[in-house]
Amino acid sequence: MIKRLLSFCTVVFGVLSLTFLLIHLVPGDPVEVMLGESASLADREALRADLGLNQPIAKQFGSYLSRLAHADFGVSIHTKTPIIALIKTRYPATLKLACLALLIGVGIGVPLGVYAALKAGHWQDLLVTIISVRLSAMPAFWLGPMLMLIFAVWLGYLPVSGMDSPSSIVLPALTLGFGLSAILTRMTRTSLLEVLNDDFIRTARAKGLSEPQVILHHALRAALLPIITIVGLQMGSLLAGTVITETIFSWDGVGRLLVESIEKRDYPVTQACVLLVALSYVVVNLVTDLLYRWADPRIKLAH
Amino acid sequence: MIKTLSYSILLFWLLAVLLGRLFQLDPNQIDLNAILSSPTTVYWLGNDDLGRSILARLLHGVEVSLLVSVSVTLVTMAVGVLIGMLAGFYGGKIDQVLMQVTDVFLAFPGILLAIAFAAVLGPGLLNLMIALSLTGWVSYARLTRGQALSLRDRQHVQAALSLGASVPRLIVKHILPLLTSVLVVEATYSLASVMIAEASLSFLGLGIQAPNASWGAMLRDGVRYMLVAPHYVLIVGLSLMSLILAINLGGDSLRDGLDVRQER
Repeated sequence: MIKRLLSFCTVVFGVLSLTFLLIHLVPGDPVEVMLGESASLADREALRADLGLNQPIAKQFGSYLSRLAHADFGVSIHTKTPIIALIKTRYPATLKLACLALLIGVGIGVPLGVYAALKAGHWQDLLVTIISVRLSAMPAFWLGPMLMLIFAVWLGYLPVSGMDSPSSIVLPALTLGFGLSAILTRMTRTSLLEVLNDDFIRTARAKGLSEPQVILHHALRAALLPIITIVGLQMGSLLAGTVITETIFSWDGVGRLLVESIEKRDYPVTQACVLLVALSYVVVNLVTDLLYRWADPRIKLAH
Repeated sequence: MIKTLSYSILLFWLLAVLLGRLFQLDPNQIDLNAILSSPTTVYWLGNDDLGRSILARLLHGVEVSLLVSVSVTLVTMAVGVLIGMLAGFYGGKIDQVLMQVTDVFLAFPGILLAIAFAAVLGPGLLNLMIALSLTGWVSYARLTRGQALSLRDRQHVQAALSLGASVPRLIVKHILPLLTSVLVVEATYSLASVMIAEASLSFLGLGIQAPNASWGAMLRDGVRYMLVAPHYVLIVGLSLMSLILAINLGGDSLRDGLDVRQER
């Protein structure tokens, strides 16, 4: 447990260092890239001093860390607003999208996985497996436009993009959720199949329990643990997947903020967004790991 | 059957690219009378928003996409294998430090780190390849390290070591050959994932720049003109799907054939 927390701390430190170094990877003078060649010398020097780029790199890193500790992400070069304010308005939208996508993913993936496991070896199983395995290989920037084409353009059921109506969230959430459901279908199927051959399932059946009772109360409960882990792990990549999905559907979240900041060469905002998404991922991973250990004591023994 | 299907799709695209070269289809030729027009006998797959032939641009896009994915895969494999070998073979401090570094790289979910690198390096083909290479070596390093760790103690390696073989010779002659099949399968999957990553970055406007054709950028344009020219996005989408599926299915059959990795 302590080892896990320690490695968590080093990883967080590494993530901080890498995002800090990002701005130093800009070829040439980052200030010139951000302001353009026509900017006056005074403006450039002012920005350089603002970003602390005229100080030794160790000192820059130190002040970067201390600012972050005070939840100060700096100021956007483009809009001159504090980045923390931008994030406060954008992050909830991303979380909302990610949570709905998670619900969709679980809602489709787990039942389909159970169905495939019960029909193992039949054509239904094969069909579900082929569809789910292949769907998970399809990237969001493919699925999003296809869903948009079918449901918004051809059928006209849903808005094409934006956040104006409550139904605007459906298509982006489906785009993210489908990818997740594909992975969950496979995991549920595998994990349930393993359990179904166990002795306690035979006992439950021998007791005369009905088949739904055996599946829902006995088998699925035992099979749930790996499924929970996958959900936790996928929550992070879901956050990353929002970058592309939000851009497709003009959903004003952190992902779109990231892409917009890149287009405007607003590097402090880029840096903050990358850091935020990466840290969310690391934290979710840690929580999943700890929950998993707490739920299954065998893991503690194994390590 | 699936194997045949995937290989025929790959063959189809290869042939299409060759034929496109043979008939000198120009991806940048503008026909202002055919802006966003549907497929015709002259332009088999219709035209994009500047009246350029979608077919010609698709074929040009495959070439760029293949160039990027093959070169990035080769570079990341070389770097990753080297780092993994160092970590696995020497162990100790080197191993700890290198694995900490890979942990940090893995802490960035999915394509996020590539987006970040591409953002600061600026758009363009070379920068795109650098950004993808900077993030792609990690999986090879992990894979190689694990393998090297177990192979190090094999008898034939120990025998060579006691006969006085140098470490580079040990690695090249005695360990690397045993890794070939694992690496080949990993490379197939990484071809597909680099291809997706390239298209994602180009979709976001961070990759290949106009007027060069790229499937990601074409898909983005297709979304933009979806209401007036739905065939554009559909054609690019279906092409992309066929190619990615073919590569992944090919990778699956290759893995089954070599039997080196368990179903994930």
